[in-house]
Amino acid sequence: MERFSSNKEIISAKQFANFGLDVGTYLLASGAHCGRLDTNIKRMAVRWGFNVELNPTFRGLLISVQNMRDESDTITLFRESPGHNVHLAILTEVSQLSWKVYDKCLAFDETVRAFEDIKNKKHYNCWIIAFAVGLACAGLCLLSKGDYYNAAVAWIGAFMGSVLRYKISKYKYNNMIAIGIAAFVTTLVTGLGAIYGIGTNTETAMATAVLYLIPGVPLINCVIDLIEGYLSSSINRALFAAFVLLCIAAGMTLCITLLGIDNFQIS
Amino acid sequence: MDLIFAVLRDFVIAFVVAVCWGILFGTPKKILLIAGLVGGMGHCIRFILLQLGFGLISATLAGSVAIGLVGIFVAHKVHNPPVVFTMPACITMIPGMFAYRTMLAGIKITDLQSAKLEPDVLLVMTHNFMLTMSLLFTLAIGICIGALLFRKTSVRDISLAKVLEKMSHIQHTKKD
Repeated sequence: MERFSSNKEIISAKQFANFGLDVGTYLLASGAHCGRLDTNIKRMAVRWGFNVELNPTFRGLLISVQNMRDESDTITLFRESPGHNVHLAILTEVSQLSWKVYDKCLAFDETVRAFEDIKNKKHYNCWIIAFAVGLACAGLCLLSKGDYYNAAVAWIGAFMGSVLRYKISKYKYNNMIAIGIAAFVTTLVTGLGAIYGIGTNTETAMATAVLYLIPGVPLINCVIDLIEGYLSSSINRALFAAFVLLCIAAGMTLCITLLGIDNFQIS
Repeated sequence: MDLIFAVLRDFVIAFVVAVCWGILFGTPKKILLIAGLVGGMGHCIRFILLQLGFGLISATLAGSVAIGLVGIFVAHKVHNPPVVFTMPACITMIPGMFAYRTMLAGIKITDLQSAKLEPDVLLVMTHNFMLTMSLLFTLAIGICIGALLFRKTSVRDISLAKVLEKMSHIQHTKKD
């Protein structure tokens, strides 16, 4: 028992509930599935002797914390999650932090400070992302039997759309509008490429250049949640993903009808 | 010889695509290379199976399951959750073409006159829609197999004895 003499730190359920909400909502916004939230927060709760139950939805997190030492110290809190922005590095960092708390019995204020550092972690620069996104769409274009001219068109379209999307979301407009406009601009570039006949297989450039907008993480998390039994969260994610897809389709449709639907054939 | 070159080309392109998706999703820098390698491998398996005459859906399922299973082993080595690199790796097989054709056919169907001239447009739309949905589900299943199996091993690490040991300090504080 000597080894654990430093572990007898006592914190209240409210303190832990607030910290748990911080971690949980941030994980949700970074693209974690609900099972991950559950394991990470419960792992940390064991260290301070709390019993935790979670009810995650896409929009927020309901947490209820019971103190095992003190029956009267029980609390249930809810918090909305911040804006959703996929950032998988956060999942790694929080998972490693939770193991550190569990194995090395970190002090509470030290844990909170470590989590603040994780929160301040920067995403990649938006120009790097735009460049990479262009390359990814060009690569997908090559994989679906386009030639190098098609890939170049796809690169330009995806690059411009991605930069525009980040610029629009900087002004705090609704995210869906940003996605619709980005899809419109990307299709404008690739559609002009198709009308002027750049490359042999112009359809591939049209199809693959907008793929960077696809909500891949919510779509896949939706199925994972479904399998693990978090039904309400799964439905929310499916709705969100479906609406993003609808926005992409709306942006593309508007552009294609403006350019003239007869210019595009289904091969 | 041509086939080997084609497989190699497929691997290189899928590698670049997976790395770039990793950047979009904010995968840590050290893991980007692994994401690329795993993604290249998965897409390669799909490509080879397609060359051998398998169906598109079964080939994609094989590729994504391979990514999921390899992801578990690699995750233990690099101390990262598998989702961080299996997600961008699986996205290399996203069915963009079929989704696009679904949408294009959907637009064409809004014009009744031209839809009457090409009555198979409805068939084209349904076919492409079903293909898109099935391929998306296969990708998700591939990642899920990995995530679910990994979760089990992770939970097994928290053995009952260890939990009891941690909890025992509570009893002591009660006596104090």
